[in-house]
Amino acid sequence: MTLFGLLRLVFILIFFGLMILFAVSGRSLPGVKLRRISAFTKLRRVIGLAVEAGSRLHISVGDGGTIGTESASAFVGLSVLERLAGSASTSDNPPIASAGDGAIGTLAQETLRSTYSRIGLSGKFDPDTGRVTGLTPFSYAAGTLPLVSDEKTGANVLLGHFGSEVALITDAGERSGNLTLAGTDNLPAQAVVFATAHEPLVGEELYAGGAYLNAGVMHDASLRTQDIFRWALIILILLGILAKFLGLDTMIENLIDELIGGLM
Amino acid sequence: MKLNFQTPISVAIAIGVGIIVLLGYFFGTNASGEITLIGILQSYFLQGAVVVAGVALLVGVFNLTAVHVKRIKQGDKAVYSLITVLALLLTLLVGAYDLAMTYLQGETGLRYTRWIFENIQLPIESSLMAIIAISLTYAAIRLLSRRLNFMSVVFSVVLIILLVGAIPAIAASDFNILSSIRNWIMSVPVVGGTRGIVLGMAMGIIATGIRILMGADRPYGG
Repeated sequence: MTLFGLLRLVFILIFFGLMILFAVSGRSLPGVKLRRISAFTKLRRVIGLAVEAGSRLHISVGDGGTIGTESASAFVGLSVLERLAGSASTSDNPPIASAGDGAIGTLAQETLRSTYSRIGLSGKFDPDTGRVTGLTPFSYAAGTLPLVSDEKTGANVLLGHFGSEVALITDAGERSGNLTLAGTDNLPAQAVVFATAHEPLVGEELYAGGAYLNAGVMHDASLRTQDIFRWALIILILLGILAKFLGLDTMIENLIDELIGGLM
Repeated sequence: MKLNFQTPISVAIAIGVGIIVLLGYFFGTNASGEITLIGILQSYFLQGAVVVAGVALLVGVFNLTAVHVKRIKQGDKAVYSLITVLALLLTLLVGAYDLAMTYLQGETGLRYTRWIFENIQLPIESSLMAIIAISLTYAAIRLLSRRLNFMSVVFSVVLIILLVGAIPAIAASDFNILSSIRNWIMSVPVVGGTRGIVLGMAMGIIATGIRILMGADRPYGG
C-alpha cells in the first residue's frame, strides 16, 4: 500500500471511529442542535399537511445508478423516501417515488415495500408507487412531469443525482404551485436548482436530510463527524495560506518529500 | 424459495461485500503489484454489480411498460401512454431487426436504430435543452421576487456580470473591465466555492458510505 493509500485508510478509520463515538455518546447526550435549513423545516410542515389534506408527496431519487459516487446522493434520497413513506403512509394518497435508473427504481420500490411492512400496512403497498419514469436524463425528466403536475401532489422532493434537466421538473413544480425541494450532487445542476426550486439544498445539505428528518442516531453522528473534519480542513487550508504568505511552503514541501522518501 | 430482504442474512451479506470492496481499494495489490485475494474478490463483486445494474435496466423497462399499460387500461391520459408503449415496441423491433441483420448479413452500425436516435431522440432532447435555456432565464428573473435574500441578490448580480462579460464585443473592446471582473470571478470565487462544495460533498458521501457499511442505512430495504 502506498503512503497516500495508508493516509486514506487512516482518514476513513478516524471518520468511522468518530461516528461510532458520537453515536454511542449521542444516546446519553441531549439531541444535536442542527442549524436551521428552511427546506427541511418546510418539508416537515408539508408532511403534516399531506396527511391532513390527503395530498400526495412525490419523491424523486434521480437518475444516478448504484455504481459510482452519484449513488450516495441516490441512497440519501432513499433514506428520505423511507422517512417520508413512514410518516405520510396514512394519507389518502400515499407517497409516490420516481427514478431514472432501473436499479435505483427497484430499490425505491423495495424501500416503500419494506417501510409499509415495518409499520404494519403491507396491504396498502402498491408496486406502482415506486416507478421508473425514464431511462435517459431527459426522458426521465419528461416522464416525471405528470407526477409533479398531478393535482393530487402536494409537494415534490427531489433528492439524488440530477443534471441540468432538473429545471424541467422544478419549473413544473413552480407552475403547479406545489412546494419543490431539490438537492443534487451535480454542481451545474445545483446552480439550476438554486434558481428554479422553491427550497434548494446546496452542497452537503443534501446529505444531511436523514438527520433533519430524524432518521436515526447514526445520521446525527455523521453530521457531528463531518463538522469536525470540516473544521480540521479549514484549519489546514488556513495554515497552508499562512505558510505560503510567510514563504515557508517550499520548505514544507521539501520536508514532506523527505518524509515520503523515508517511508517508501 | 422466497427471498426476504428483511432478514439479517441480507444485511450481513451487504455489509460483508461492502467491506471487502472497500478493503480492496487499499489491499487489492501487494508490495510487488500482484493482485491479492481481496483484490480478486473486489473485482468479482464489482463485475457482479455491473451485471446486476444491466439487468436492473431491463427491470426498469418492464416497470415503465407496466405502469403505462395500466394507465392505458384505466384510460388515464391513455394517449400519451399508448404512444410511449408503441414507441418502445417499435424501437425494440427495429433494434431486433438491426441485430438480426448484423448476424445474418454482416451489416454493421445498427442502421435503423441509429436513424431513430439521430432523427427522433436527438432532436427531441435538443428541443428540451432549448426549453431549459428559456426556463432558466425566466427562473433567474423570478428568483428575486420569489426569494429575496442576500444569496439571491449575489446570484443574480454575478449571473448578469458573467453573461454580459462573456459577450464577445465587450470582451474585445477597450472597455473590457466587465470581462476582467468576469475572469476574476471565474478563477477565484468560483474555483474556491467549487472546492468548498466538493469537499463538503465528499464528506457527505463518505458518511453515507459508512452508514451503509454499518447497516444503519439500508437502501436495499432491509
